[in-house]
Amino acid sequence: MNRHAVSAILLFLAVSICYFSGHDFLQMHEEETIYPSPYLTKKKKLSDYFSGLKNSPGDTPVYIFEGQKEGGTLFVLGGTHPNEPAGFITAVLLVENIEVTQGKVIIVPRANNSAFMHSDPQEGNPQKYPLKTQGGERWFRYGSRLTDPVHQWPDPLLYVNPGRQKLSGAESRNLNRTYPGRKNGSLTEKIAYGIVQLIKNERVDLAVDLHEAAPEYPVINAIVFHERSAELAAISMMSLQMEGVDIRLEASPPGLRGLSHREWGDFSLTHAVLLETANASHGRLKGKPSANLIIEGKDKNYMKAAKLGRLFVPFDENGIPLKKRVSRHLASLKALISGLGELYPDLYLQIQKIPCPADVEKTGVGTFLSPPK
Amino acid sequence: MIQIIYHAIVIYLTIHLIWFIIREKKCWDQFSGMLVLIIFLLRLFLIK
Repeated sequence: MNRHAVSAILLFLAVSICYFSGHDFLQMHEEETIYPSPYLTKKKKLSDYFSGLKNSPGDTPVYIFEGQKEGGTLFVLGGTHPNEPAGFITAVLLVENIEVTQGKVIIVPRANNSAFMHSDPQEGNPQKYPLKTQGGERWFRYGSRLTDPVHQWPDPLLYVNPGRQKLSGAESRNLNRTYPGRKNGSLTEKIAYGIVQLIKNERVDLAVDLHEAAPEYPVINAIVFHERSAELAAISMMSLQMEGVDIRLEASPPGLRGLSHREWGDFSLTHAVLLETANASHGRLKGKPSANLIIEGKDKNYMKAAKLGRLFVPFDENGIPLKKRVSRHLASLKALISGLGELYPDLYLQIQKIPCPADVEKTGVGTFLSPPK
Repeated sequence: MIQIIYHAIVIYLTIHLIWFIIREKKCWDQFSGMLVLIIFLLRLFLIK
């Protein structure tokens, strides 16, 4: 075979490989469907609060539930880090189930929409994971901790965030390091700015950022609170402990800038809180990444690490499944909502049909998700 | 602006690679060039 024929075959092969791998990559741009509960009052976009995000990959849906009676305003943010699925799924569960009779609830399930559109290189994480509902299977996106570099590039060598904290360059794409954001900044800073505008414009009384962390990370199964929320966090912790949910309190360090629990509290009048659960699929000690690891949370390496006393949470052969992590977030949210009403009766919120945390843990997350339509 | 410079560099190197694959006489070296070309093509279309 002459060299020109070989060249033609090889070029065709290169284009074919690019086509298939490109097609696979671009599938990450497809969003899962969320079916809001019939009690949804309004669906907005984050760009309605900050027009700089309009038509950008950072724009994301905002679900608003308003009650008939006056009350407090709750803001729930999921998907700050799309590789922390319990936060995202908790927000989706709320959107698909709740009915608000007093006060207002605002939910953003995909906080960093751009970070849902790619996965971390060399991690081998699945692009999505399935959840069985009563009427069939639905899939949900598993993304990256950071904004897609296609949407924000290049990273600086050193990132100085709006709070003048110096961080490594890649952290410029970490939404939870860029608060309170910058109006004319990078895409991630604009998303952060949009979220802070939402909190200010809607006069949010309680703002909750839902996260997960690796089992070897010390701030875990915790409520991280801004000093204004100290009393609320303490009441919620006592209430959770009485229900048998082991949770600890972590005060937001005043010198640690750019994080939601610090900047939301400093730049608005809200009670800012961040919740953490333990996720094995997010940790560095994990074995083979898979959808099963995300959902079941079982991992032999973590069992071994727990036996060696290297973890900050108990970890046995049952793992820490998604249903348990979501149940923990729901229980914490319920405790915070009830605590807010106790401390400030004017801010009382009455929310019906929040999935019962014990039932979620018992029957699984899918039972409370709408079947695919 | 930075994206235009980025694309210009990637296009320049992609053209050189294709030219190398066509001119190269050894099949194995042509194949190696093809493997590198895949990465450049993906970069060209901003596919990470």
